[in-house]
Amino acid sequence: MNLEPNMKQVVIRRTVRSDAENFLAPLTAEMDRTGRFPKEWRSFVAAKQYFGLEIPKDLGGAGLDAVSACIVIEEVSRVSPAMGLCISVHNGVALYPLHIYGDDYQKENFIRPMAAGDSIGTFCLTEPNAGSDASALETTALWDGSNYVLNGTKIFVTNGGVSGVNLIFSGIVSESGKKSFTLFIVESERKGLEKGRPEELMGMRGNPVCSISLNDCIVPSENRLGGEGQGMSIAISTLHGGRIGIGAQAVGIAQGCLDASILYAKQRIQFGRSISEQGAIQGMLADMAAKTEAARLLVYRAASLREKGLDHGKQSAMAKLLASEAAVEAARLGLQIHGGYGYTKAYPIERFYRDAKVCEIYEGTSEVQRMVISRALLK
Amino acid sequence: MHIAICIKQVPDIAAVRIDRERMTVVREGVQNIINPSDYQALSLAMALKSKIGGTVTVITMGPPQSEEALREALAAGADRGILLTDHAFAGADTLATSHVLSKAISRLDPAPSIIFCGNNTIDSDTGHVGPQVAEELGIAQVCGILDVQAESEQTLLAKRMGERYIETIRVGCPVLFTVRKEGGTAILPGLGSLQRAFSAGSIISWDKEELGLSDDETGLAGSATRVWRLRATPLKIKGDIITGQAQELVQAILRKLESMSLVDEDQRHE
Repeated sequence: MNLEPNMKQVVIRRTVRSDAENFLAPLTAEMDRTGRFPKEWRSFVAAKQYFGLEIPKDLGGAGLDAVSACIVIEEVSRVSPAMGLCISVHNGVALYPLHIYGDDYQKENFIRPMAAGDSIGTFCLTEPNAGSDASALETTALWDGSNYVLNGTKIFVTNGGVSGVNLIFSGIVSESGKKSFTLFIVESERKGLEKGRPEELMGMRGNPVCSISLNDCIVPSENRLGGEGQGMSIAISTLHGGRIGIGAQAVGIAQGCLDASILYAKQRIQFGRSISEQGAIQGMLADMAAKTEAARLLVYRAASLREKGLDHGKQSAMAKLLASEAAVEAARLGLQIHGGYGYTKAYPIERFYRDAKVCEIYEGTSEVQRMVISRALLK
Repeated sequence: MHIAICIKQVPDIAAVRIDRERMTVVREGVQNIINPSDYQALSLAMALKSKIGGTVTVITMGPPQSEEALREALAAGADRGILLTDHAFAGADTLATSHVLSKAISRLDPAPSIIFCGNNTIDSDTGHVGPQVAEELGIAQVCGILDVQAESEQTLLAKRMGERYIETIRVGCPVLFTVRKEGGTAILPGLGSLQRAFSAGSIISWDKEELGLSDDETGLAGSATRVWRLRATPLKIKGDIITGQAQELVQAILRKLESMSLVDEDQRHE
C-alpha cells in the first residue's frame, strides 16, 4: 500500500498552492465582505483547466486522476473555501454525471464549454421541503407530447448566480400516481428558468448561492440525462463522488486554519515569549494537524477507490464526515489560538470559522453520512 | 532551430531554515523546485520557440528524482528531457558539472544553435556553470540576460542588464545565454499540461558510460574545488530610514529611485 503522493501530485499541489496564494488570496477579504464572485480568478483558472479536472483531454479537460482532483480542491479551499466549493461542485456533481451518463450530444454541447470554464455547472436537488429527504422533492416534469415541461423551485443552489448549466432533479408522475425521479440539463438562459437573489450566507461568501425556479420551463428530450426514473440512482452515485470533493474542501479548510494558526502562534509574544512555546497552544496545534492528516488520508482513500471503479459509498461518507468535523474543529481551535484578534476580521481565521460549519451540512449532513455508513455496516 | 536548456532542481530556499545550534541546513518538509533563473531561461526559450519554431531539449544533472524538474519543464512546453544521472556524478563542483553538461550537449543531434542556462542557482549561487559550458563548447556567451529576440535566422538580440544600464547585444549562433530570474513573465502551466507531462513524454537517461566519461572527470574526483567549511552569517538588512511629512517622503523616495535609475523624469511626473 503506497500512501505517498506521486511526483505528479506533488507538483500539482505546488502549482495550485502558488496559483491560490498569488492570485486568489488577495481577493478573499473583499469577496467575504461584499459577496462578489471573482471573475478575474474564474478566467485565470479556466485557462488552467480547473473547470475540467477529471474530464479527458479530447473534451477539453485536464484528465486528472481522482486524487489529484482532490489535491486541487484542497489547495484552493486552503485559501478560499468559497472558490474551492465552486470548483468542487462544478467538477464533482455537475460535470461528473454528465460525463458518466451523458450521450454524445450532451458531452459535446455541455461538457466542452463547462470544461473550458465558459459555463459553470450546478446540481439542483434541494427544495424548500426536500433537504435530507431528497425523495420528497416536488419539482415536476410533464411530457407534453414533444417536450418536457418543468415546474418547481430549487434552493441553496451552489454556483447558482453564475451558472450556465443546471442539473435539475424532477419527478415524473405516472397515471397511477407513482413518481419516477428524472434528471434534466437546463441551461440558465432557457425560458421559464429564473434565478433568485444570492443568499446572504454566514460563510462561503463569494460563491453566489441562490434559488432556481422553473415556471413552465420547456426542456427538449435531448436534455434528459439518463432515462426516465434513473434520476435517484444518478444522484446517489454522483453524491458519492461529490462527498469526496467536499471532504477535500474540508481538508483544505482545516489545513488553512492550521497554517494560519502556526504563523500566528510563532509571531504572538506573551509573557515575554512566543505563545508557540506554550504547551497549551502546542497541544491545540498537534490536535489540528493530526485530525487534518487523518481526514486527508480518508479522502484520498475514497478518491483512490473511485478512481479504480470500486465501491466507495461508505468510504466517501466516512471521509466527508470526518473531514467536515476536522475543519470545524480546526477553525474552533485556530480561533482560540488567535484569541481576541481571531475574533476580528483582521485575520482569516474568523472567515474560516464561518466557512467551515457548512461542511457538516451540505452534500448530506453529518447525520446523513452516519446513516449511510451504518446502513453499509448493517446490511 | 534546436534550443537546449540546462536546469537544476534545488531546494526551495525560501523554506529552508538553518539550525543555529547544530549549524546545519534543515531541509525537512522543504520541496525541490526548478531553480528560478533556470525556469526563467525555460520561459525565454519557449517564447523564442513560439516565434521561430524548432524543438526544445531540457537537460539536468542530478539524482533520479530530478526527473520531476524535467517533467515540469515538459509541462511548460519543452519537447524532451534528458536526465544525466550516475552515482559517479555526486559531489561535483561547478567545473565537473559543466563538463558533464557539455558532454551531453555535444551528443545532441542536431547540435543546438542556442543554449540557455540560468544565471545562478539559489542553493549555491556561483554563476559558473553557464560560462564554463560555453568555454568548453567553444561558443559565444552572453551572461545575465533579461530577454532575447530573434533578429534573423542566425542572429539574436539579447538584452543584458548592467548595474545602471540595459545593453542590447547582437550575437550569432551558436550561442549560450545565462538568464536572470528577473526576466520576463514565467510560464504557468495548466493542469492538463502537468497531467500529460507526468504521464507521458519521453525522459532519456544518460549515465557516465553513455557519455563516454571516465571516473576522474566527474563527481568529486573531477572537481577542482571543495567546500572546506560552511557557516551561517547573520542576516543584515540594509536600509535608509526617511522621516518627514507625506509630501516630503514621496519626494525623497522618488529622488532615491531616480538615483538608482529605477524611475525616469517622465515617470516622475506621472
